Amino acid sequence: MNDNTLTLYYYNDGLTAGERRQVESELESNPALAARYDELRRQLDELSTVDDPVAPPHLVARWHDLIDRAAERETVVALPSQKSFHFGSFFWGAAIAASLAVGVAIGVFISGEETVPVEPYAGVIEQPASEMPTAFSRGLLVHFRDSRDRLSELDADANGERDQLILNIIQQNRLFERIAKQNDSPDLARVLRAFEPILVRLSAEDISPEEAARLQSQLAFEINIVLTKLARQVSDNTDAIDT
Amino acid sequence: MAAVIEQGSQPTKAEFHSAIARRSDRWFAACLRITRDPDLAEDAVQDALLSAWNKRDQFESSSRLETWIHRIAINAALQLLRKNRPERFEALDFEVADESGTPQEIHAESELVAGLREPLQKLTDIERACFVLKHLEQWRIREIAAELSTSEGTVKQALFRAVRRLRVSMADLRSNSNE
Repeated sequence: MNDNTLTLYYYNDGLTAGERRQVESELESNPALAARYDELRRQLDELSTVDDPVAPPHLVARWHDLIDRAAERETVVALPSQKSFHFGSFFWGAAIAASLAVGVAIGVFISGEETVPVEPYAGVIEQPASEMPTAFSRGLLVHFRDSRDRLSELDADANGERDQLILNIIQQNRLFERIAKQNDSPDLARVLRAFEPILVRLSAEDISPEEAARLQSQLAFEINIVLTKLARQVSDNTDAIDT
Repeated sequence: MAAVIEQGSQPTKAEFHSAIARRSDRWFAACLRITRDPDLAEDAVQDALLSAWNKRDQFESSSRLETWIHRIAINAALQLLRKNRPERFEALDFEVADESGTPQEIHAESELVAGLREPLQKLTDIERACFVLKHLEQWRIREIAAELSTSEGTVKQALFRAVRRLRVSMADLRSNSNE
């Protein structure tokens, strides 16, 4: 009997009842095999002793924040079901409230000095945003322009195409977010991360064409704000090089 | 307080916060063991939380919220691993593992307990995924095969090879420490 069979016996998986009985019978009658199995079991038990690496506090804070923002967005979406519904008021109220999470983060990014409080989940180390390398800013500029243009060209009811586009934007955002973090720009990283819940909501299966259109408009609006900031930054850096 | 959800109701925001406070270390650790990349592990947990939140009406109240999210996080980690390193993940021909590793991988491994770090580093992605899911996460072989879109036979072979390599590595470590 080979060790592979003994391994499956150890895991109590992958053997038929008959095969398990066969192993048990041989273990009882064959001391050498029993010794081999004991050694295998001891080693595998040893491999079960694992210390869990601890998630960094800033990640845990971010996950808490993620749920808060997702819940906030749902509150906004739920408003149309109220009886005393007034479309005009709802539209602007929803737009403002839905913009809050991203807007606050963008405001911080634009100021470049203040920090976003992640209350009550303390533990985020805040640092002043430093100037990002021009090449990175240009790359980000192109990414945001491309995302805005492609989102605006998308049909509100084109679910499959929208999902793929959003997946690509999220992946690109995450790449830029990592580079931002590596370049000591936590505020910019936070802005990029703040887009994600909106993008995920936009790709949800149960989203209506009306809500999708509204979110696309909102995203375009938010992206334009970031683009303005980035364009200014790139322009300033270019001027500095020119002079 | 464990996040046990009242019968017939979907988990609330407070229950999600409670689950994160109690178990996010484990979700992160499980994803890190699978991906060996802290960034991918972070993304996997984030994807899992968003997915769980958006689909919380599908949560079965007979189970535990943190266990449900744990499972979603592992699925997310596997998806990210396949997406980011498809050529390595799909290499089921049991080539000799590249032991060099990227700086990120080496950093991630330093987070693992010393006794398991070295042996696990020598496994291929498919071997490590099968071993972690079977040995540490206690998945059934058929579940692993379904999740990895492969056969039970392939999972078994990857598991056997992982166990064999880990045992050899452990024996080496033990003999070195005795010298």
